[in-house]
Amino acid sequence: MNGLESRRGSTRAILWTALTVLVVLYAFPFVYMLFTSFKTPIETNAIPPTILPSTWTIQNYITALTTQGVPQSFVNSIQTAVISTVVSLVLAVPAAYAVTRYRTRLGRVFILLALVMRMVPAIVVGAPLIAFFHSLGLSDTSFALALAQTTISLPLSIWLLASFFEAVPDELEESARVDGCSRLGSLWRIVIPITRGGLAVAAIFAFLASWNDFIFALLLTSVRAVTTPLQIANFQSQFGLDWGTMTSLAVLYSVPVIVLAIVLQRHIVAGLTLGAVKG
Amino acid sequence: MLPAALFLAAFVAWPLLQFVVNSFFRYNPIAGGPHTFVGFDNYVRALTSAGFSNSVVRTIAYTAIVVTLEFVLGLTVALLFSGLGDRSRFFRTVFLYPLMIAPIVAGLLWRFLLIDNSGIVNQLLFDAHLTSSPNQIQWLSDPNIALFSVALPDIWLTTSFISLVLFAGLQNVPGEIIEAARIDGARYPTLLFRIILPLLRPVIAVALIVRGVDAARAFDVIVVQTNGGPQNSTNVLSLLVYNTQIANGNPGLASAMGTIYLFALMVIAVIAVLTIWRPGSDN
Repeated sequence: MNGLESRRGSTRAILWTALTVLVVLYAFPFVYMLFTSFKTPIETNAIPPTILPSTWTIQNYITALTTQGVPQSFVNSIQTAVISTVVSLVLAVPAAYAVTRYRTRLGRVFILLALVMRMVPAIVVGAPLIAFFHSLGLSDTSFALALAQTTISLPLSIWLLASFFEAVPDELEESARVDGCSRLGSLWRIVIPITRGGLAVAAIFAFLASWNDFIFALLLTSVRAVTTPLQIANFQSQFGLDWGTMTSLAVLYSVPVIVLAIVLQRHIVAGLTLGAVKG
Repeated sequence: MLPAALFLAAFVAWPLLQFVVNSFFRYNPIAGGPHTFVGFDNYVRALTSAGFSNSVVRTIAYTAIVVTLEFVLGLTVALLFSGLGDRSRFFRTVFLYPLMIAPIVAGLLWRFLLIDNSGIVNQLLFDAHLTSSPNQIQWLSDPNIALFSVALPDIWLTTSFISLVLFAGLQNVPGEIIEAARIDGARYPTLLFRIILPLLRPVIAVALIVRGVDAARAFDVIVVQTNGGPQNSTNVLSLLVYNTQIANGNPGLASAMGTIYLFALMVIAVIAVLTIWRPGSDN
């Protein structure tokens, strides 16, 4: 403990109250969305609005899932996110390894440039990519979308992995090489197994970047490769303000990542703090 | 390093270059027609248009609103967490969830919460006797406050990021320093402003840079809430560039605007990174 923890019971009670109030306020929008997704259409638009549904129904979920294009968009989202995660890791692992192990000036410049690239607005990269993928015959494919989204996750992946690789002592690898292991061999047999947690972190963040992306999907897909965020956004223009269906689709889309968060929370916190404190 | 470098060159640097090159031409991708080289004409048009300079001001205001509120809230929560120590673990977990939610979902959700007449926020304010009628505050249709309202989902989504990062930073503050200051009779505000905040400076700097750049690029949360309206009051740069490019079919002008926008972001970010944080010096 670092001396910041309060020791007096009365102060602690005030802190608990403050934190509870904040957390309830914080959770309210999401909880309200969850309740709305179980309301009947009449109740969703009722004035004044109610918090709890008076009759619970799963009709909104049925409507959402039977709307044309929605099941396919889920398949597309998963496919795109998986491709993007794999590409991101395959490129980031050797890059991060090279940067941490060879410590050249070039490596420093590279990692700084990668960081700068993270700051490029998606619209700037996305607009020329439309023509680029078109010329490759990849328009409106999950693969093209995944590559575009990798531009978001790759710099962060490199940065995170470099931090984790940094923590692996050189001696371990040296002794492996004395035993006849090649550079690549020691990366594969020593560094990767030790930093499994780090790889998990980089994978989660790459997956999230793709899963939550909207702008690249908006620019680069039209029919075949459309992802669920686009479908969610479509609900408001297509059906006016059909909040019941919209919220149920939003809940469905959030469930997988919330499950991921519960299962992997330790890794996510590590990634966040590393990602921010170091890059 | 090479494959990643090639990838970034192909999918970031090359499109970027093309984007910049486009800014010197005038053409219309929908109507067709030739690319005409116009030199800096697009830049002149961008810089002299009221639409562009208003968007710049809005982008700066939006970023300032988001970052300030997030920082104040985030720091408060982080201090509460560390005041309660390990027993706050459950709440820290709850705070992770917004980070998982797609911005588009957050944008739509907040639009639903704030919507005139039937929005729950107005209803709750009315029930709490804070407003005199449930539609007194026109969150998203009053041009004077819309820029603030569209920032709410952004703040909601990422305050937790700041909290968790600052909390991690607080864990690294050496206990002896706090202890010593307490023995010397320092009260909490003194402790906070004289010791804790200065020690957290690098962490704060990085969190603010990351969030500042992200807020300046905000697109999805705003598009789904107001699409730039009412009366352009939420038309920030990312939307302006997008609409000039796609809806108005003027990629040349959009590229010039985008290039200025990008250049400003980079300059600010690089200055911030180099002066406050010095990458690599801690390795």
